Amino acid sequence: MNPIAVIGTGQTKHSKARLDVSQPELIREAASAALQDADIGPDDIDAVVISNMEMFEGRAFPELWAGEGAYAFGKPCVKVATGGTSGTSACIAGFHQAASGEFDTVLVVGFEKHSEGHTQTGMALVDPFWDRAVASGALGNFALSISQYMAERGVTEEHAAQVAVKARRNAANNPNAHLQMPDLTVDDVLASRMLAEPLHLLDMCPQSDGAAAIVVASEETARRRGSQAAWVRAATTRHDQPYLGDLDRRLVTMRALRDAAQAAYTRAGITDPLREFDIAEIYEPASYAELAWYEALGFCKEGEAGRLITEGVTAMDGELPVNPSGGVLSTNPVGASGVIRVAEASAQLLGRAGAHQVAGAATALATGYGVYAWSDVIVMRTEKP
Amino acid sequence: MDADRDLLSVSLEMDLEWRYASGESMERFLLGVGAGRLEAVRCGVCGRRYLPPRPFCGVCRVRLDDWVPVADAGTLEAWTVVHLPILDGRTGEMRPSPYGMGLIRLDGADTTLNHYLDTADPSRLTIGSRVRAVWREDRRGAMDDILHFEVLS
Amino acid sequence: MNRQQSTDGVSVLGGAETAIALPDPRSIAEMALNVVERALEDAELRWSDIDAVVTASVDLFDGLTASSIAVTEVVGAVMKPETRIAADGLAAAIQAVHQIAAGAYDTVLVVAHGKASMAHHWNLTSWAMDPIFLQPLGVDFLTVAGLQADLIAGSDSSIIRRWAELAAHRKRTARGGIGESFTIDEVLESPVIAAPIRVGMCAPLGDGACAVVLGAGGGETTGGRAVIAGTGHDLDSHHPGDRDLTEWAGLRRACLRAYDMAGITDPAVAFAVAEPSCLFPHEEALFIDAAGVGEQTVLSPDGGLFAGTAPAISGLGRLLRATKAVKGNSGHRALAHGTWGPAGQGQAVAVVEAR
Repeated sequence: MNPIAVIGTGQTKHSKARLDVSQPELIREAASAALQDADIGPDDIDAVVISNMEMFEGRAFPELWAGEGAYAFGKPCVKVATGGTSGTSACIAGFHQAASGEFDTVLVVGFEKHSEGHTQTGMALVDPFWDRAVASGALGNFALSISQYMAERGVTEEHAAQVAVKARRNAANNPNAHLQMPDLTVDDVLASRMLAEPLHLLDMCPQSDGAAAIVVASEETARRRGSQAAWVRAATTRHDQPYLGDLDRRLVTMRALRDAAQAAYTRAGITDPLREFDIAEIYEPASYAELAWYEALGFCKEGEAGRLITEGVTAMDGELPVNPSGGVLSTNPVGASGVIRVAEASAQLLGRAGAHQVAGAATALATGYGVYAWSDVIVMRTEKP
Repeated sequence: MDADRDLLSVSLEMDLEWRYASGESMERFLLGVGAGRLEAVRCGVCGRRYLPPRPFCGVCRVRLDDWVPVADAGTLEAWTVVHLPILDGRTGEMRPSPYGMGLIRLDGADTTLNHYLDTADPSRLTIGSRVRAVWREDRRGAMDDILHFEVLS
Repeated sequence: MNRQQSTDGVSVLGGAETAIALPDPRSIAEMALNVVERALEDAELRWSDIDAVVTASVDLFDGLTASSIAVTEVVGAVMKPETRIAADGLAAAIQAVHQIAAGAYDTVLVVAHGKASMAHHWNLTSWAMDPIFLQPLGVDFLTVAGLQADLIAGSDSSIIRRWAELAAHRKRTARGGIGESFTIDEVLESPVIAAPIRVGMCAPLGDGACAVVLGAGGGETTGGRAVIAGTGHDLDSHHPGDRDLTEWAGLRRACLRAYDMAGITDPAVAFAVAEPSCLFPHEEALFIDAAGVGEQTVLSPDGGLFAGTAPAISGLGRLLRATKAVKGNSGHRALAHGTWGPAGQGQAVAVVEAR
């Protein structure tokens, strides 16, 4: 892919219910923050990509109405929709548009306003002949894979609780985060309500209202920014077979994520991800998922994820801080969550991550995830290709 | 704008109906379920026996039409007990909780089937347990013609 | 930057579409598999030649959340890059053009699918209208089309008859397809569905799927090369009162981008064929005006959407027809058009050039 870079990012304050704004206004908050961060105006935007899980709000073509918030009217604008990976897929679509030579500057905005719809209804509209009759939703599906993962990899409830604690404590340094819990303990997580064995309430991501945006620039435009550009060095997507039972031990194997990561690392010249990445923003909708992703992303050998979290390797002061923002476990407006990963990784490279900045971050990883079957992996560097 | 103030809102209720076509392989499978019979479709290249049946092996990229019988008993590969009620995507009603959920590898199939588990005695739920389908009397050719799976002693 | 250079090397390698039916008894996956297999055959390619897939579908139309899950296997996307544009299929094709021009992939499969038979289509579209100001009034895409037609007709009663003539003509020249043929008088006597639009003036909606393979470079398949010389798309304002409904300004902007890229300075003489996505006769005049095509351009030689169309597939089908219309006639150009949203809020065009 031709070189392109992220030159600005913006996010809303994420929370359980943003009753103070409409959907277009929510989008506008993130979009205008991103333009301000990139020091450009709406007229400088050549094209817009939107990400949103419209069924959660009970909508179709949400960009037709809400696109105004992204300054999209009168410009090329499409909505990308790939389930949980919608946000990262929209970013990758924006990368391709900016790398195509047709556009200099592309704005990518992801949003979700769960409080305005009925998320369970959206989740229930699965395969009408198979899953709809025997559904257990995202929660049950996670729990099933987790039971296999724990059995095979020796991961414990305490390991998972440590991930949940790390996320909410990191989020306390992120003013945009939804769940900020600086004093959360492992005991609190284990004592929280059991949702689906072994998943406790605090092992799961929340549902949030929020939006996030990035400004993607073509090589020429980004180069003029000097050091104020986060270069995309690889962006790969892999989708896998659709049914829950199609793949053995999904969380254990995570074939799509492993393959996407391998392809991205090869392209970006990453051979030792734990050492070479300075920061990672990975899409972990459940505490256990983060542990499984450590293995699939090559941060450790199989069976060592528990050691990584216990030894603080992925903590803010560890060798590879994972999700300094607090991650999906702290903030989850689904259509925005993937964009948040890329925005956070970019902000770290641009040195604009504020209180959760990892000093001197030069190489970053961002991932997207959807129902075990969909994975996006993005590698970024301060160094231009 | 006062950020602490909640704005006025409108409420719109969705009442929609869709008519979904099953496809040849799913239709054959569900007609079998209605008759108390389970079948998988086998890939002629990789040999994988797929449940649910489908027209195409996504891995080998070939059409599928080789049907093989599957038992209504198998091995429990994963389980959980869900304590949150869930929305029934067909009726819009909430299903009662808690309920057991399992991934079951039926004898004769290579993929696993996600279905409900009998949780009368949760201590019997372990990975590797043998389980058997408990069928409804009034079958109509749908996945919930199987009420749930029970652990065999 | 050199905009002409950017997509100069993207060719249409092949494609296929289902005959529109109402209903098509097949599942979404079966319909998609059918067109993908035939598109590969048409392009003389194997599954392994495809680097990436872009699909087009709309969750609410399909009654599925993340409805592309239903086709991942049959479009050959297992362990491949796949993405989805939730709009008209031509917008998905343009994203594929961007992927190829970006140097990300060489060969990309584009698949669109939609089944109007699954639900009351126009009712569904009300959920795409502003939920605060418009949806509570019962406004859907058909309502806005009616407002648009009424604004254009004004007090000129003769225009309604001309639309009836055009609808009857398009339907008569349609090859195959669905929907009844009407005489002009029958069109004028058919029930009003959104005044002044009558049933006989609407292109019939049904079920369909379409697949097109795009490739970098040569594309030397049987019968010469068809290059996508320019693309453009645009999203206009949402509220009917915020824009002039008597024109398609968004299409005008999309065409300017595409023509600029294709090096077209006079669209009036540039195209042998144009394949607009017009559901109603009044839209055809809006298309001609915004695209600037001239009298020597043959519009909708196969009857256009009046042969029948399906949600999300129209523009991709038009791209396929436009390609077939010019391929083999070196130097000939065709214009493909797709649209989504109320009264053409979303617009997409592609210039196909035979080499």
